[in-house]
Amino acid sequence: MQREAPPLLHRLLKSQIQILYIARVRKLLFRQMLVGIKDGRFFLGNFHCLDKQGNIILQDTLEYRSIRRSSPSPTEQCYLGMILIPSSCMTSCHVDCSIEEQLSLI
Amino acid sequence: MQPLKLDEESSSIQHKPQNCAISSGDNSVWADVSPLLSAACTDLHEGELINGDNFNLFAAMSALEIMDPKMDSGMVSTFYSIDEAVENGFAPVPVSADSTVDVQSTLDIMDHLLVCEATWHMGHSLAQTVFSCIYVLRPEMTSSQALLHSYCRVIRATCRAVVSVVSDARTNEEEDLFTMTYGLPFNEDEDAKGLLLLNAVEETICRQLRACKATSSKKRLMEDLEPLQTNPQLEESFCKALLCRIRFRKHFLHALNCMRRPQGRGLELARKHIAYCISELDSVLESAEFLRSDVVENGNTEIEESTTASGRSPIGFDPTLNKRLSAPTPPRAIKLLSWKKAIDYYVKLLHNLDQICVFPLEPDLDAVLQFVIRFQKSRPDLVARAHLQLLLVQDGKLYGCDTFLTICARALALDVTKHHGLHNNEYILQLNQLMINLLKILCANTPWQRRKLGKILNDWSVFNVQMGISVAHMMQQDTSRTSKNGDKSLLILNHIYGWLEEQINWVALRFLMLGFDLDLYSLSEYCMVYWYMYIILWKLAEKARFRVLIIVNTEERKAKRNKEYSRDMVREDRISLWVLFLQCQTCLAQGLTVMIAALRNEGMCLKSEGPFNTENEKFVQHFELLQKASLPEYDAYESFSESTSHARLDYLPVYEYFHDAQKIAKDIKVGYANDPDKLAEVRGLEQVAERNIVAVNLFCQDRSLKVSFEFTHHPYFATAVVRRS
Repeated sequence: MQREAPPLLHRLLKSQIQILYIARVRKLLFRQMLVGIKDGRFFLGNFHCLDKQGNIILQDTLEYRSIRRSSPSPTEQCYLGMILIPSSCMTSCHVDCSIEEQLSLI
Repeated sequence: MQPLKLDEESSSIQHKPQNCAISSGDNSVWADVSPLLSAACTDLHEGELINGDNFNLFAAMSALEIMDPKMDSGMVSTFYSIDEAVENGFAPVPVSADSTVDVQSTLDIMDHLLVCEATWHMGHSLAQTVFSCIYVLRPEMTSSQALLHSYCRVIRATCRAVVSVVSDARTNEEEDLFTMTYGLPFNEDEDAKGLLLLNAVEETICRQLRACKATSSKKRLMEDLEPLQTNPQLEESFCKALLCRIRFRKHFLHALNCMRRPQGRGLELARKHIAYCISELDSVLESAEFLRSDVVENGNTEIEESTTASGRSPIGFDPTLNKRLSAPTPPRAIKLLSWKKAIDYYVKLLHNLDQICVFPLEPDLDAVLQFVIRFQKSRPDLVARAHLQLLLVQDGKLYGCDTFLTICARALALDVTKHHGLHNNEYILQLNQLMINLLKILCANTPWQRRKLGKILNDWSVFNVQMGISVAHMMQQDTSRTSKNGDKSLLILNHIYGWLEEQINWVALRFLMLGFDLDLYSLSEYCMVYWYMYIILWKLAEKARFRVLIIVNTEERKAKRNKEYSRDMVREDRISLWVLFLQCQTCLAQGLTVMIAALRNEGMCLKSEGPFNTENEKFVQHFELLQKASLPEYDAYESFSESTSHARLDYLPVYEYFHDAQKIAKDIKVGYANDPDKLAEVRGLEQVAERNIVAVNLFCQDRSLKVSFEFTHHPYFATAVVRRS
C-alpha cells in the first residue's frame, strides 16, 4: 500500500513548486514575448508584468496585424509602446529562447 | 515532484506563431509559455504581481489596453483594411447602377464631406473626418466618375491649403491634432488638377440645366446631352443641387488661395469668391427641401441631426478604417456636426474671412491693434485667425511691406527712411521680434492669448529697462560732441524707448480685460480688478497723451521748416480721440473701484477675503505677472488697500468719476460718428456711467438694497443693478 506524504510535507513540496513556477516566470521578465489575441493580431514586446488574473504588460511593443481577413495575407506593423493585454483575449503566448532553454520552460 | 504535463497541443513546435514575418532571434525559437504562466498565476496571491525592479505602477497606468475600443486603434471592426473594404463593395464605383440613386448618393457624399471638413476645422483629426471617406482616400478609384473624382480632388486640395495656412501660422497649440496628417495622402500635382476637372463638370451640368429649361424645339437640338438621371421631372432640381455644391467648393478653394497671396494682393479677389460662396451656401440650404422630399421622416430630430441634406446616411465612409492614422491619441469616436451646423460654421467662417479682406491694410500700428481686437470680438475660429496672422506678419514685416521700426516710428510721426543703420540696431531687432510675437499672440484664441500676454509682459519690461539704460548712456556720450550731420538715430531711439511704456501698459490692459471674457473674476474680486485697470488705464492714457504731444511738436517743426509739408491731422485727431477714450475708461474704472469698495466697507457687497485665501493672496494670484513686470513699480497691494479701505457711499468723488466718464463719452461720440463699432462701445460706456450714478444715488438713500453687477452695456465695465431685499 502506497503511503501518502504527510500533510506538512505535501504543503512544503507544493510551496516549493509554487516558488519554482513564479521564479521561472520571473526569469522571463524583460525577454521578448509574442502574444496572440482573438482577432488575429500579435504583439511583440518585452515582458514587463504579470498579475494573478493572467493580464500581461509588454513594453516597447510592436503590433502585427493582417490587412486581409483571409490568410495568408501581408501584415503591417505598428509601434505601440507599453500595452496591457487582458487574459480574456489572449490565445497564445510565446517567449524567444534557445532550443535548450525551451525544454526547461515546458 | 511531478513534472508539468506536456500538452502536445500547446507545444511550441506545432503552435508557433502563424505569421512567418515574426521571426525569433538567431538560433532561437518561440517557446510556448502559456502553461507556465497559468501555473504561476494560480500560485500568485491576490494583488501580487510578477514584475521587475523598474516596474512603476503609476507608469503602467498609461499602458494602452488592448481590445478597449477607446484605446486600441488597431482593433478590427468591420474590415481589416481599406483594400478589404473596397473589395467587399463598401465604396462602389459608380455609387449606384441606378442613375437617380447615383446622383442622390453623390449629393449625400458631398454633404457629408462638408460636415466632415467643418468638424475637422473644429479640432478633430483628418483621419476620422475628411479621410474617413474611401473616395477621398483613394481618388484613383473614381477616375471614371468625373463628378465624384474632381470633387474629392478639390476637397483634398482645400484640406492641403488649410493645413498649410494653419501650420505656417503656428497658432494651433490648443487644437491638438488639427494639422497632423500622419501620412495621409496629399498629392499636390494630382489634386491641383481637380479644379480644372470640376470646372469641366460644372460646365456639363450647366448645359444640362439649360437643356432642362429649354423649350421643346430647342430640346431637340440638345438631345445629345446625357441626362444626370432618368426622371426628367427631377433633372432641373438635381442639376441645381449639384451646381451650388460644386460652385461653393470651387470658390472656397479660390478664396483660400487668394488670401494666401503675399502682401494682401489677393484680398479683393478673395472677397468676390467669398461672396459667391455665401450665395451658393444659400442655394445649398434651399436644395434641402427637394432632396428630403422622398425620404420618410422619422421625427424631426433625426433630420436635424443628419449629416446630409436628404437625411440619408452617405455611402463610402468609415472612420474606423483610419483609426491607426489617428495615432498617437486614442481612437475615441467623435461626433460629427450636423449638416445645418456645418453650414452655419461655414457662413461664420466666410464672414470672418470677409472681415479680413475688408481691412484697408493701413501701415498704422494703432489701426492694426484696434482691428485685431475688433475682429476677435466675433470669436473667429482657427482657420480665420490663422489667415489674419499670416496677413499681418509676413517675412518679419507688417503685411510683408514695412518693418516694425517704420511702423513704430510712424506712430510717433518720425521718419526713419534716412536712418538705414537703425534697422540693424540690436534693440530695434529685438523690438521687431517683440512686435511680431505680440501680433501673433493677439491672433490666438482667448485663453491662449491671455496666458501668453501675461508671459510677454516680463519680456517687454526687461527690454524696456535694458533699452532705457543703453539709450541714457548713449545720450550722455552724445552731449559731449555736437551732432552736425543731422543724424537723428539717437533721438528716434529715445522716442521709441518712451513709446515702449505705452505698449507695455496696452498689453497689461488687454490681459486684464480678457479676464472678463474668460470669467476669471468673481464678484468679490471686482474691486481689485477695477483698481488695477484704473492704474493701468491712467498710465496708458498718460503715455498716449505724451505721444500726442511729441507728434504735434514734431509735425509743427516739420511744417515750419517746409511750408509745403502737410500735417497728418487724421492721425493726430485719431490718437487724441483715443486718449479721450482711455480717459473715459479710466474714470469708469476709478468710479467702479470706489463704489464697490464703499459697498464692501458698508457690508452691502462680498468681501474679497474668503475661507481659503486672504485678499492679499487672491491679489497676488491674479496680478502676479503684472507685478513681475513692475506694473506698477510700487507695492500694488498696499496701495490698493490704502486707497479702498476708507471708501464710503456718501464720498462725493464716486459721483464725480461717473459724471466725468459720462461727459467724456458724450464728447467723443462725435469723433467716432464714422466708426459704428467704436460708437456703440462709447454709448455703452456712457450707459454704464449713467446707470451707476443712479445706483449710487439709490444706495445712499437705502442701505438695505441688494446689489448685483451685470455687463449688459459693456463687456468689461459692470453696471450695478439694485433690488429691494
